[in-house]
Amino acid sequence: MKYFRFGRLEKRIVVFFVGLLMFVQLAAFFAISYAIEENARRNLRDELNVGAKVFKRLLDQKDQQLESATIVLTRDFPFRDAVATLDKDTIVDVLKNHGDRIAANRLALVDMMNIVTADTVQPALIGKQFAFPDLIERAAAKKSVSAIRIIDGTIYQLVIVPVMAPAPIAWVVIGFVIDNLTASDLKDITGLDVSFLGAGGSQQPNVFATTLAAGNRGNLQAQSASFLTKVDQSVSIVLGREEFEILATNIDRYPVAPGQGSVFAVLQRSVSAGLEPYEVLKLALLLLGGASLLITLVGSIRIARRITRPVRQLAMAAREVAGGNYGTPIVLQQDDEIGELATAFNNMSIGLTERDQVRDILGKVASHEVAEQLLKQKVELGGEERDVTVMFTDIRNFTALCENHPPAVAIALLNRYLTAINAIIDEHAGVIDKYTGDGVMALFGAPIGRSDDPERAVLAALAINQRMRQLASELLKEGLPNPDVGIGVNSSRVVAGNIGSPSRLNYTVLGDGVNLASRLESLTKRYGVPTIVGEATAAKANKLVYLELDKVRVWGKSTPVRIYQPLGKPEQLDAERHDLVARHHRALALFRARSWNAAEDIFRALRPVSGYTSIADIYLSYLSDFTLTEPVDNWDGVFTLGDK
Amino acid sequence: MGLAAVVFSTPLIAAQISVQVREPGGAAVAGAVVYASVISGTAPKMPKREIDIEQVSKEFVPLVSVIQAGTAVNFPNRDKVRHHVYSFSPAKTFEIKLYSGVPGKPVVFDKPGEVVLGCNIHDNMIAYLLVVDTPHFAKTDKRGAAVLDGLSAGDYEIHVWYPATPATAIPSPQKLKLSATDAPAIAFAFSARTQNPAGPNPSAGK
Repeated sequence: MKYFRFGRLEKRIVVFFVGLLMFVQLAAFFAISYAIEENARRNLRDELNVGAKVFKRLLDQKDQQLESATIVLTRDFPFRDAVATLDKDTIVDVLKNHGDRIAANRLALVDMMNIVTADTVQPALIGKQFAFPDLIERAAAKKSVSAIRIIDGTIYQLVIVPVMAPAPIAWVVIGFVIDNLTASDLKDITGLDVSFLGAGGSQQPNVFATTLAAGNRGNLQAQSASFLTKVDQSVSIVLGREEFEILATNIDRYPVAPGQGSVFAVLQRSVSAGLEPYEVLKLALLLLGGASLLITLVGSIRIARRITRPVRQLAMAAREVAGGNYGTPIVLQQDDEIGELATAFNNMSIGLTERDQVRDILGKVASHEVAEQLLKQKVELGGEERDVTVMFTDIRNFTALCENHPPAVAIALLNRYLTAINAIIDEHAGVIDKYTGDGVMALFGAPIGRSDDPERAVLAALAINQRMRQLASELLKEGLPNPDVGIGVNSSRVVAGNIGSPSRLNYTVLGDGVNLASRLESLTKRYGVPTIVGEATAAKANKLVYLELDKVRVWGKSTPVRIYQPLGKPEQLDAERHDLVARHHRALALFRARSWNAAEDIFRALRPVSGYTSIADIYLSYLSDFTLTEPVDNWDGVFTLGDK
Repeated sequence: MGLAAVVFSTPLIAAQISVQVREPGGAAVAGAVVYASVISGTAPKMPKREIDIEQVSKEFVPLVSVIQAGTAVNFPNRDKVRHHVYSFSPAKTFEIKLYSGVPGKPVVFDKPGEVVLGCNIHDNMIAYLLVVDTPHFAKTDKRGAAVLDGLSAGDYEIHVWYPATPATAIPSPQKLKLSATDAPAIAFAFSARTQNPAGPNPSAGK
């Protein structure tokens, strides 16, 4: 079944080649057949014409032979002697006797007055006028004459010569019957069928002698009108079922007198017999054609298979590759172009596999966006300045907490934290720049920047805080350590790009703002809050509610910076929270305006509020410090923080 | 020669006939034989004579001869090859089988009529011999003229003859009554050349 199922290309190849060959062969066959048949027919006609010439030449020779023989006969002295006796019986005897010598069928003697004086066949004619005085006249002019005439239903070749004694004293007329034997003799020499037909004058068309079969004799007679009108031309006629090329020629030798019948020799050549050798050639051509067609059919199917099978295999493999399955190489035992294609395809698969693996690993070691960026663009060292919001997270005292647990448990724990953080950063379209042990550095705005980068960063931080609280309660139930996570967020202008060496590089960001974010993360411990946002971020993500924590000059920085604790979107906060924020900021203002007592009252009042205690404690500790040593007069409300 | 003998043997006082033979177109017919048959009166008795018809270079010489009936003819063979002289003519049928030299006996032609002579081994050889019943005969000269003389008074029939010419083509004889001193002139006209193309043309023979 499978063997006979053709693919479209395969079918086209086979149909094309077989069709082309068939067309060419058929065209050639018909052209050759036509040429052969034409040629054969022309040959036949040529044969017929040559045959006709030979035939006439034979007749001429026979004339001459018979005339010569007759002349010799009539010059025979006893013959003349006998003729001169004028004794009729003697004359008939000598005519018969001498006629036998030359196998003549009929002899007659005609006197100089054209009166028949003897006739070996029809004695009744004696004393009558000779039937062909015109021939006597010609004989008188030529010394002898030969002609073909119908006498009493028989065709004779008549030879008329004078009896010379030594002047002519009479005419001897010798007749040789033209019969089937004559025809068959002529057929032996010319290779043509020969018929003798009388027609014209009072003579109804009649075949007197022929080499044809009895049936065709009548057919020939019946159709005589068709070829007697085209004497000396080759004519094609059908006798019975057989086709003949036919040529009729008049053999009267001398025109017959009006009313007398003429004699025609009709030469026939069987067309089918003539075409026989060509039929063999035709058959050979057909066999050759059939064989080559078969070979072409088998060959083209094989060639087509050699093309289409591997192509199908390749297509299948390509589908596999498209589906991400590179595993199965194509095995083709072909040295040709298709073999090359298969090899190329396999190499491509290997290349794709490697690239996919690279992309896979890249997607894991680098963030998805960075990996895409790296794959899309040309990887070059160097960077660009961008506004980026950087987030640092850190699990507080993770190392210490893990000391009591096996490393596998510690790693699993760490991965749970990092997986959760990673997911939230991804949700907020952040990019993980790197993992720093138990910490994460994430970017919002690199490599692709958006206007809401700061807001997303802050919201991500809040979401992480919330998720970490959940995770902490889950871990607590599992009896695992559940440390806090601190987050620092800051926005600034940084240098972003591929940093490292040409063979080994990282996409990352560099700048003071980055370090500040890291510092802010460290400060969460001091202020007892989960997240601290820098002044620039809070300014940009200004739709959210913040609690200003402090104004500090961090270690290694001269410029003071305000730091905030993000609380969430305004609508998400209850009135109590809003009240807390307002009272805190009033207290902060009083504090900075050196209204120590008023500020202290508020801080003390707010201290019991959940999550605010450590902030209140910091300010209360500032205030207790200030009761010992009043700040300098130009105090700007900034606290300089030392090393973390 | 024979003719000259005839002329000299003629009596001094006698009638003579001038004969002119022409083609219908007027051309002279030479070699035609004219002779006068005696119808009434006496034909002169001529002595028995002999003439020769020789065979020279495979030809008969002369081609045409005229003799009075009863004349003996010798056929001397002047060639190195033999000849076989024959005649199938009704006037005289004979043959002298292969011989050389002069045959022992001459052939006597005693019946008037035309005799065609041939040689059995030389088909081309032919000679014409006219045997007539009168001593008055002559052959026309180049001008087609002949003279019959030495005729005594009486009734005559004047005949013309030409070799190899069918009897039908020969003009009928003309009758004449002659006195002793008449010298009439008569004429014959016929086509001598075209009568029988199969036969030899004697006037063209030499």
